[in-house]
Amino acid sequence: MAKPKVASDWLSGCAGCHMSLLDIDERIIALTELIDLRATPITDLKEPDEDGVDVGILEGCINNTYNEEVAKRMRERCKILVALGDCAVFGGVPAMRNFSGAGEALKRAYIETESTDSEGKVPSDPELCKPTRVKAISEVVHVDVFVPGCPPSADVIFYVLSELAQGRMPELKGNMLDWH
Amino acid sequence: MVKLNIDGKTVKVLEGTTVLKAAEQAGIYIPTLCAHPQLTPYGGCRLCMVEVEGAGTLQPSCTLPVTEGMQIKTNTKKILDARKFVLTLIFSERNHFCMYCQVTDGDCELQNAAYDESMTHWPLQPNWQPYEVDASHKFFVLDHNRCILCRRCVRACNELVGNFTLGFKERGANSFLVADYGVPLGESTCISCGTCVQICPTGALIDRQSAYQGKEREVDHHLSVCVDCSIGCQRDVLTRDNRLIRIEGDWDTPLNHGLLCEKGRFEPLAKECNRILTPLVRKDGSLKAATWDEAISAIIEKIKPLTGKKEKGLAVLASSRLSTESLALIDEVFNQGFEAAIVTSIEEDQTSSVAAEIAKELGKPFESKLDVLKDTDIALVLGADLATDHQVAGFFLKRQQASGTKLIVAGTKENRFIDKANLKLQQTKGTSLDLIESLTAALVELRKAKVEDLKAADALYSSSEKTGLAIDSLLKTAEYLSSAKKPVIVYGKGFVSNNNKVALKALLEFAALIGKNGAPLVGVKGQANSMAAAQLMLVKPFKADSVQAVYLALSDEIPTRKLTKDLENVPFVAVHAAYSSQLTANADVVLPAVIWAEEEGHYLNSDGRLQKNVKALESPENVSDTVTTLQKIAELLNIKAKGDWKSQLLARVSSVEITQG
Repeated sequence: MAKPKVASDWLSGCAGCHMSLLDIDERIIALTELIDLRATPITDLKEPDEDGVDVGILEGCINNTYNEEVAKRMRERCKILVALGDCAVFGGVPAMRNFSGAGEALKRAYIETESTDSEGKVPSDPELCKPTRVKAISEVVHVDVFVPGCPPSADVIFYVLSELAQGRMPELKGNMLDWH
Repeated sequence: MVKLNIDGKTVKVLEGTTVLKAAEQAGIYIPTLCAHPQLTPYGGCRLCMVEVEGAGTLQPSCTLPVTEGMQIKTNTKKILDARKFVLTLIFSERNHFCMYCQVTDGDCELQNAAYDESMTHWPLQPNWQPYEVDASHKFFVLDHNRCILCRRCVRACNELVGNFTLGFKERGANSFLVADYGVPLGESTCISCGTCVQICPTGALIDRQSAYQGKEREVDHHLSVCVDCSIGCQRDVLTRDNRLIRIEGDWDTPLNHGLLCEKGRFEPLAKECNRILTPLVRKDGSLKAATWDEAISAIIEKIKPLTGKKEKGLAVLASSRLSTESLALIDEVFNQGFEAAIVTSIEEDQTSSVAAEIAKELGKPFESKLDVLKDTDIALVLGADLATDHQVAGFFLKRQQASGTKLIVAGTKENRFIDKANLKLQQTKGTSLDLIESLTAALVELRKAKVEDLKAADALYSSSEKTGLAIDSLLKTAEYLSSAKKPVIVYGKGFVSNNNKVALKALLEFAALIGKNGAPLVGVKGQANSMAAAQLMLVKPFKADSVQAVYLALSDEIPTRKLTKDLENVPFVAVHAAYSSQLTANADVVLPAVIWAEEEGHYLNSDGRLQKNVKALESPENVSDTVTTLQKIAELLNIKAKGDWKSQLLARVSSVEITQG
């Protein structure tokens, strides 16, 4: 049997979940013996194979139209989609913005910032994606495995990946659950 | 007894038990959120649903009474699915974002419930409607975003504290927690007891002081006793890295079962006083830092010549916040050993001392335990302002009013507890005895007592005139009391002020006339260890102009203005105090003292419970506790002390039976 193909990508988040993935340390060698690691933000290949992968992993929430595209593309190209971390599962810290709206957040970031001189301006190039209400991934595409945590611990990530690599669905319970 | 079956296990419980309690007794766990052992079941959250054979739908076990032969299941797929669904709805109703909530990581009952059901996510997202955060209260914050509408806080405020500040407006998804008629908490009738904060299962009500200072598993717990008044509530002192984090009640303790008041819960952490951290000795007119040896020898030098001098001698004063060990040692060293002119406490509340004298005359205890307050139908409160002092005793009474208990409060207009009364007896100052005489006459008038119990034939009229009370209210009081099933009489400092032994004696006789067996009498007494001070006879009157020198063991008590003024003209004043004040600034020698949390010791509360205050914090360097300091002084004075505080305490008859714990 061919090794299952795994791809990952990050949306709006802090990259901490991928850092936590790297924190599985030398176990990554054992893991790469079991899986075929394809596109990830931390490898050269950036987009999941067009002919599909077995497991797709998404970190971060859906914050704008571009995130939505990436999430949909990953969903189309993978069999099992994993939402990794609190942002992907619930919306996370970026979702705080939902209480004020994206407009207010952009104003605060580009106009009202203490370091901004008199003429602050919200970027509005037509090529830029549009900010949206912050969503958990499951609000946009179907998610098969939820791995909460901010970030999920390396042990939990290793458990999830090793289960998936061996064709089993991981079951998170007890101490493995940590929503923070 | 009722026999039923839960998950295949036969369980026998008392009739009237709920299925939830029956399961608990059988060691079967059913998750809950709105249920709380101290509160009436409410059936609001539906997390505790069980399958009952024969019933069409799942039933909430918290409100379901057991019936004979009931077949209950607590763990079927149907139940597990229902629990997840219930949690899903709760999570989606408001904004429960664990990653930016203070109460998380094991401290939140909602989060823990979700973990228990292995929920990895929310099947339904919240609707992102922001709810207001009420930060108007000085001690806690109410974040409506985290509220699950379980009404635990409302029930605690009503059922446990009897304050009826919290309530709900609107219905269904629009239900909203409000204080009074929708005013900010900080402007409401809240009395800051903090019971709602302690009972909240989520982060909706959080304590300001301890917010973000450590989770439950990162703090140390010290089960201790409150030293902020003589009720002696048991409390849990939470510390982390030798820092005071928070004070909580412990739901399982027998006296106050988790309740505390503002003074016991919040004030010890809110206190902003300057700590004295080094001994100070007056040199050339001003206080200068000194070593312990210098400071102690400065004291010895001044007081040693006063040994045994009864005129113009040494006065030793002690705070009645000190432990029994400390008070007993003060008595042993200075009274028995040194024979100082006077050794007494600075307690201003005379309840303990008057009660102790009556007990001595009677030769036996005459007061009841505080527990009688928890189950009464008519309570007469005399001169005790339970809205200001001894508040938890007030909670016991207030909370029963909703179920029909009548509260009759007598006191002068300063007594804030009168506002809570069903029958208000606002009397003229200094008329305690007249009140009791007129009440006795009212009993005679109602033919509930015999004429020979009367002191004067026209007492009802003559005495009531002095008290300024209407005869109608007196007759009503007498009628309430004599028709009560469980009457109780509480008295406090207002009743015995000016050392009013006669009034207390009259009260004793009056109490005996009520009902078949008489009404139990409860005295609420001054500061934390006021009763121990009375037992040790440290309750003599002190006159500053009659002494040459004063040694004051103040500990962490804040001295009154009167005491500060009294000591101004004493030629030599040495103070062992934790906080700097005008009094320490005027003193000749100041020794740095520990605070309540830094010293272990026993306290004798209002109803004679001998309880231990445990050490929760290490004291700062160079600061010393009362016992160690006294031992040092005794050694230099060549006084041998046995330190057998227990037998000193038990040497005399007490006003209420002394019990352990």
